[in-house]
Amino acid sequence: MEELLEILEEINPDVDYETCTTLIDDHILDSFAILSLVSELEDAFDVQVSPGDMVAENFNSAEAIWNMVKRLEEEG
Amino acid sequence: MAYHTLLFLLVFLPLVLLIYQIMPRKFRPAVLLAAGYAFFFSFSRFLFVYLIGATIVMYAAGLLVDRMQQRFKEQKKGMERAAVKTLKKRVTARERWVVAGGVVLLVGVLAVVKYYNFFAQNLTELLHLFSIEGGLKTVTFLQPIGISFYTLQAVSYIVDVYEGKIRADRNFGRVALYMAFFPQIMEGPIARYEQTAAALWQGAPLSYRNVSMGAQRILWGLFKKIVIADRLNVVVADIFTYYQNYDGAILALGAVAYTTQLYNEFSGCMDIVIGTAEMFGVTLPENFRQPFLSKNVSEFWRRWHVTLGAWLKDYIFYPVSLSGWVKKLGNRTKERFGKHGAKIVVSAAALFPVWLINGLWHGPQWSYIFFGMYYFVLIMAGIVFEPLTARFHERHQNLAAHKGFMVFQIVRTTILVVIGELFFRAPGPRQGLVMLKQILTNFHISALFSAPMAELGLDIHDAVLIFAAVAIVFVVGLLHEKGVHIRERIEKFPTPLRWCSYYALILGNLIFGAYGDGYLEVDLIYANF
Repeated sequence: MEELLEILEEINPDVDYETCTTLIDDHILDSFAILSLVSELEDAFDVQVSPGDMVAENFNSAEAIWNMVKRLEEEG
Repeated sequence: MAYHTLLFLLVFLPLVLLIYQIMPRKFRPAVLLAAGYAFFFSFSRFLFVYLIGATIVMYAAGLLVDRMQQRFKEQKKGMERAAVKTLKKRVTARERWVVAGGVVLLVGVLAVVKYYNFFAQNLTELLHLFSIEGGLKTVTFLQPIGISFYTLQAVSYIVDVYEGKIRADRNFGRVALYMAFFPQIMEGPIARYEQTAAALWQGAPLSYRNVSMGAQRILWGLFKKIVIADRLNVVVADIFTYYQNYDGAILALGAVAYTTQLYNEFSGCMDIVIGTAEMFGVTLPENFRQPFLSKNVSEFWRRWHVTLGAWLKDYIFYPVSLSGWVKKLGNRTKERFGKHGAKIVVSAAALFPVWLINGLWHGPQWSYIFFGMYYFVLIMAGIVFEPLTARFHERHQNLAAHKGFMVFQIVRTTILVVIGELFFRAPGPRQGLVMLKQILTNFHISALFSAPMAELGLDIHDAVLIFAAVAIVFVVGLLHEKGVHIRERIEKFPTPLRWCSYYALILGNLIFGAYGDGYLEVDLIYANF
């Protein structure tokens, strides 16, 4: 989780990721930011994000992103 | 029988509401489906076989993919991880063939009936350029109403099943109703299966609240359509047809008038559509969120024709961005030119097809392709100059946070959008460029008050009425932006005041609507796309 928060801070440092649960709904992260995030996640956690994973529920909060990463790690 | 006509509003809709309500609950979805096919038939006659064909294709493809996924889940139980991986690869490849087959069939029909002649004409012209005789003959294809909208819905269904977002539906009737809900047929909104299918199928009884709230929204949509958009139609048509006769100031007025017309016409129609669905207890996705309060063009497209933008993002932008070759390209560029360089390259690769398809989706015309490419260039420019704008915001934090700067951004975006709509409405890109050049080099504000203005069919009463009506729409938009739900406020008014509001809307449409002598009934613009 620490590593994920670092990645998120780098993409947009002005957000409180520990509390924010509307990263997508409030357009805090736009589609370009999401793509940068996905690229970083794939490098850092050796996972593969598919277009089907690109839904708001997976990116609205740091916790949701972390859950998605864990799920993708399990799926290998 | 378009949505703003008396035939629809005073005959078809009340009749469907009545039959729907008196039928037992389990037959209500069938009433909606029959109404959908009757509505479709009224425009396209027996071309409704296209719609049924598309429904069969998506239904069958969805079921096939779903069956493969379920069988895989069964097979993988007790298997080793490496074996599961190999099996998954094989199953995914098979699923992809089914998805590709379904999508090619659906998009293929759209491509042939809508774009074949455009392709044939341009190919023939290209061959002539190289002095080669021949080419392709043009063929007259009849185009079913709403094909550009329902095809996208069908594609989204198949892909969503493939991606595991939804399970395929075994109930053919529910799939058919998702495709043929009559308020959506002409102009969308382009809904996803999980957004509407279940609500449409439940056959909920009509309620006073749903019907009155829906009726309010319909009246508001009619106000935008017949008081503003239709009144502007004459002046817009004249300026864009005889653009060579006019001063740059009048052409600029024409571009602003067209943008105003298009917004009020399309968003007004969406109000009628969403209000109609609301009467049946169905919530359709919104297509507009105050687009003219956007601070840049990317934001504008998140607020204008929202469901088309979202479709392009989910089914073109993300799949292209996350495809193997774009990822490789991005990684290689990152190594050589850093993160910003990679962002430029990946964005260009993914945004080009998005904006090409966005332009082409509107119709087989070079002006629409030019329109798409115009936004591609604008958005790419924003990405290329991102470090500069970021530095500017950092150095001038006070200015960037100032309300005046926000107003500047909104005005700048609006000007860019108006220029885009000028190209969209112009007969072709060349004519659009001529008009823009005329605006930039031959602009005399005095022309607005000279004789030709009166000849445009816009007298002082029309002008005042349009300004007042647009001001009302703008204020309502501002209130929405601030989270004020006007219809819910009206609902809480004391009964006399509430009914006064209803009568004001009805009378507003009756008195100020552009119909009768001197006005022609204006077709819905987006129904032709």
